[in-house]
Amino acid sequence: MQKKNHTGKIGAITQINKQVYSIEFSSPTLKSINPGQYISILCEGLTLRRPFSVADFDNGVLKVLFKQKGKGTEYISGLKVGDSIEFSAPLGNTFTIDDKKTLLIGAGIGVAPLFYLNKKLKEEGAETFLAAGFLSKEDVLGDFDFVSTDDGTFGEKGSICDYLETLIKDFVPDRIVSCAPSAVLRIISSVAKSHKIDCEIAMEKVMACGIGICRGCVIEVRRDGKVQNATVCKDGPVFKGEEVVW
Amino acid sequence: MVDLSLKLNEFELDNPIITASGTYGYSNEFEVFCDVQKIGAVVTKGITKEPRLGNDGQRIFETSSGMINRIGLENVGIQTFLKEKLPILQEQGINFILNIAGSAIDDYVELAKIADKNKIKAIELNVSCPNVHSGCIEFGVNKDSLYKLVSKVRDSYSGCLIVKLSPNVTSPEEVALAAENADADAISAINTVRGMGVKLDFVNGQFKKTTVAGGLSGKAIKPVALSFVDRIHKVVDIPIIAMGGIYTLVDILEFFSVGARAVQIGTANFTHPDIAQKLIIELEEFMQKHKFSTLDELQNKLKEAEYV
Repeated sequence: MQKKNHTGKIGAITQINKQVYSIEFSSPTLKSINPGQYISILCEGLTLRRPFSVADFDNGVLKVLFKQKGKGTEYISGLKVGDSIEFSAPLGNTFTIDDKKTLLIGAGIGVAPLFYLNKKLKEEGAETFLAAGFLSKEDVLGDFDFVSTDDGTFGEKGSICDYLETLIKDFVPDRIVSCAPSAVLRIISSVAKSHKIDCEIAMEKVMACGIGICRGCVIEVRRDGKVQNATVCKDGPVFKGEEVVW
Repeated sequence: MVDLSLKLNEFELDNPIITASGTYGYSNEFEVFCDVQKIGAVVTKGITKEPRLGNDGQRIFETSSGMINRIGLENVGIQTFLKEKLPILQEQGINFILNIAGSAIDDYVELAKIADKNKIKAIELNVSCPNVHSGCIEFGVNKDSLYKLVSKVRDSYSGCLIVKLSPNVTSPEEVALAAENADADAISAINTVRGMGVKLDFVNGQFKKTTVAGGLSGKAIKPVALSFVDRIHKVVDIPIIAMGGIYTLVDILEFFSVGARAVQIGTANFTHPDIAQKLIIELEEFMQKHKFSTLDELQNKLKEAEYV
């Protein structure tokens, strides 16, 4: 059985903007990882590994986008090309991959896993629309079909949530998928529900074990008619919008 | 060929590396990272009579050199354990210790009887979980209530009875003696140290605060554990299974030198999920290299270490 611990070698590390970095690495032992699944990286000197979504996995090369905001990401941003990196993967569940017409909505660094998902959906023949919201022009990460910025310096002005109704009306999706801060996910889930559109969201929480055993990262979900605990690390990170108890 | 095996009363272990309760699941979950069968013994997640959902709110908080948890004993309950987890342990030949917790003596006794009936060879009593408001904490911090609890469990259980002690006490010696006098077969120590993490944010001229109060574990508590084990080893004769911040072979040797018979790896499983298996290999290689043929030989030599 292939174990989930891997040692990779960093092939590229680039600072994209003031806070966001892109890092690429590969490990011969990691054969596959699906959109929604995540990896957790050992950061020297820290007790807990840090979980990251996957922005791409192409020919064995993993691409991770991360925002530097704490000790873990500070460690990773300090790594150099050629350095080795220890990580666990693949962890967690996946987004649904099929040919359904899908509206993908990201906010901030939450767009990262949507790039990989978008690619895989297109490979399945799905029509997709990738929308994202950022604070300002300098925060915009990559190319999108629609962008809003809080200060209006790029794309439309305002929160991405202000444009949900318009996006749904114009694109008429069969499914909405999102990765964003919890407050945004909550709004998206509720809007999707009101339109009776399937909705999948990727959640985030501080994690310890990564395989569902320590119960450190539970959220409440409504399944089989009752409220129960689900771990973001193993039962998630992808949940149906309507099942999450906010 | 070196012999790493040991016996805790009648309970046999291939090696002295045990994985701590709450950090390794119920059975074979860590097989995605290493070969669980090779671990000396896996201590299951703490099991209660009924399933528990655990605490609301933030449950983990990373600290300098450690972490705080306040999971609140979320677990599937003994019936689900017997039905779903025990068969996996048995089929896969995983040596294990059932960790049990309760909020009344009767809870423990009932769980011990179930363990006995199901021929579970070893149990560890969680008498020191600092997360549960009712009950749990009191057994471990008071020598009389601890004695009463362990005696009652002893009457109902014929296998290896291990008592996991809390470091949040005034006198480690008193509680260790209470466990020994109540006929426990071994002591494991230490459980987590009570602690609190505070995170402040300053937004728009206002402070925002997050606090997580629970049990501190990891490297930060190793000196507390060494001191605790050293103190109780001086007063009890039953074997001590030491834990608290063990990450390396040197850590293990240090605990052996203050009297530990075996060790548990806890928080380190989160940092390095294959660490328990690696430490077994390192211990074996060290013993081979330095010509210790049994664990006794190594541990005796360590206890005789000269003070510099």
